[in-house]
Amino acid sequence: MKDLNNLKALNKNTTTLDTSAVIDKMGEVDRFSIEELDRLKLISGSMQNSKILNVFRELRTQLIKTSQKKNFVCMVTSAFSKGGASYIATNLASVFALDKSKTSLLIDANLYAPSLERLIIGDSNAGMTDYLSDNSLSIKDVVYATGIPRLRVIPVGDNNEGAAEYFSSNKMLEFIDEVRTRYADRYIFIDSPPVSESSEARILSEIADMVILVVPHGGGSYEQIETAIQIIGKDKLTGIVYNN
Amino acid sequence: MNYTLLKQYIDVVFREMWQRKFLCLFGFALISYSVLTIGIFWNSKFEVSTTIFADNQNILKPLLAEQAAQSQVQNQESVVKEMMYSPRIIKQVVENLYGLDSFESVEALGKKINSLREKLLVKGVGLNYIKVSYSDTSPDEAYRVINGLVNVFIRTSADEQRSQSREAFLFIDNQVKQYKDQLLLAEERLKDFRTLNFDGRDIDVDNSISNLSTQIEELKIELDEDQITISILKKQLGAESEFSSSRVQTDVYGERLADLVSQRNTLLMTYTDDYPDVVNLNYQIDDIREAIKEAKSESQSDKNDEAKGDDAVLNPLYQELRSRLSLLQTEVKTKQNRLAAFKRLKEEEFERRKRIAERGAEESELTRDYDVTMRIYEDMLERKEKARLSMTLNIEGQGVTYRIQEPALPPLNPVGLRFFHFVLLGPFMGLFGVIGLVVLYVMLDPKIRFPSMLSGLNVVTLAVIPHVKTPFTKRVVRFDMVLCGILALLIMVAYIGLAYASKEGLI
Repeated sequence: MKDLNNLKALNKNTTTLDTSAVIDKMGEVDRFSIEELDRLKLISGSMQNSKILNVFRELRTQLIKTSQKKNFVCMVTSAFSKGGASYIATNLASVFALDKSKTSLLIDANLYAPSLERLIIGDSNAGMTDYLSDNSLSIKDVVYATGIPRLRVIPVGDNNEGAAEYFSSNKMLEFIDEVRTRYADRYIFIDSPPVSESSEARILSEIADMVILVVPHGGGSYEQIETAIQIIGKDKLTGIVYNN
Repeated sequence: MNYTLLKQYIDVVFREMWQRKFLCLFGFALISYSVLTIGIFWNSKFEVSTTIFADNQNILKPLLAEQAAQSQVQNQESVVKEMMYSPRIIKQVVENLYGLDSFESVEALGKKINSLREKLLVKGVGLNYIKVSYSDTSPDEAYRVINGLVNVFIRTSADEQRSQSREAFLFIDNQVKQYKDQLLLAEERLKDFRTLNFDGRDIDVDNSISNLSTQIEELKIELDEDQITISILKKQLGAESEFSSSRVQTDVYGERLADLVSQRNTLLMTYTDDYPDVVNLNYQIDDIREAIKEAKSESQSDKNDEAKGDDAVLNPLYQELRSRLSLLQTEVKTKQNRLAAFKRLKEEEFERRKRIAERGAEESELTRDYDVTMRIYEDMLERKEKARLSMTLNIEGQGVTYRIQEPALPPLNPVGLRFFHFVLLGPFMGLFGVIGLVVLYVMLDPKIRFPSMLSGLNVVTLAVIPHVKTPFTKRVVRFDMVLCGILALLIMVAYIGLAYASKEGLI
């Protein structure tokens, strides 16, 4: 958590410096430097550790194959808390964005441990929960550019009360439908809370096309994972990603 | 377990350790310091040992070799062990070394005896060699106890040896007396039996019967012969007349004459008439012829005087025959009496034999008793003398005994674990103890630590994300490592300091 706070503070500083550029260039945003990518544990095409990059590329290939080359909504959830679902979701979105013909949208639905705000260059005023609870907000208001090209983020937002109900609302369904259909080359990733600790994961899995279950090293027992799989349902579950 | 799996396990163990590095350091320190603490309070042991040569033969064995069933002679190790550990010996040692008055109660004495016994070790190191070891925290104490113990043991065993041989002698002596009484009794019985029974032995009776039978047979044959002789004599008597006649004389002279003439003719075939023998024969012939003439003339006159019996001469042959017949008849009578006597004797012998057979079983039993008792008695007498000799040897200390082969030496260095060992052992125990505990944790904790464990879920494993090492995480890891190193160093410096202080007696 300490590391995370440091990073957040760092981001804030970066964003203050670049604010004028954001306004001037209207959507043109700065990119993360290599050091920043390292700190944020984000993969990039120029990273030294090609092993991790290749693992994510392989994962991308498998998902595209599963979706039969159509764009999709993929929920990434962890079997246990601190399982690294946000890390996997972010990097999965990043690896899709590496392909210049694709864009990716990362939705932070992890109400209890939101972490994707750090990717945003600049201030974020409203997020997913704000959009769902406030009809005055449009989709554009909650989608933010990041330090990674072709990757957009929707943060959690500030209105977390009754979020589970918002996620199961028609507005949520419409929203998902909207973002998916607007661009055929946009791949949507939802960073969900852990299956074992919330009901949101189950609700979100119903609106997602596919679900990836992250099993962290030493996170829990075999039986607990079996239970998590049952909660998600095998029809939606594409597969497991084992996170070392 | 193949190499890959082993490596995976090792990685997992070290990863778990790294995740709990401060806990592991604490565990390491705790175990190391615990071992050191044990070392500080550990009393070094000093061991003293001595070797005893046991040449102990059970004195009863050779003495009673075949006469009595002897219990198996135990091996020396167990005999010595039994004696050394016996409360009797140890109590004697305690009494000699400390004095019974130095113990406040019976319980204290008992405790001391038990503690001595626990520290004592007796074991065989070869045929008849027994090593006795004693360990104690004080080297002087160990040396005193072992010497005291061995002295008491040797003295006691010698006393026991003497008493054993004395008991053996008394036992055999007693046995000898008993057998002597038995022998006298058997002798008395046999004597009584023989006094009451004169019939003698079987063989005597058989000989007697045999002799009698032979004599009877011989007598019978003689009697038969005599009967035949009598009948012949009677016939001859019948043929001979009581008185002899002159004609018979003439016949006798005629035969004589013919014989002489024949001799003269034989000589004349070789010699002339004037050969002396021929002349002599001629004279004899003439004499015979003269005699024949006289006889013939007497015969003529006999015929004339036949009616007159006064001149008749008794026939000598007849007389002779009568005399012999009479003698023979007397002899037959005597022999018949003797035969009857023999037969009666034979009957008596048969009766006697029957009596002997009836009492034979009783006699042979008495004889056997006597013989057996006699043999054992003689044997026991011999053994009694051996026992007397053994007893004398033992009393003079010349008999078989125990002796110290390797005397005890005062111990210079302690044996077993020492403080130094504990100091060395502490960090190793700490390190391996922590690793062992983590291994145990990994083995027992059911959490998923290998991707391969997910194979049973029937869900595709899309990817295995490796552990990310960014320059930032590397810096963090490096910092943690330095911190852990410093902590470990501090723990070890404090550890060595504590060990040194303890050795120098500062704490």
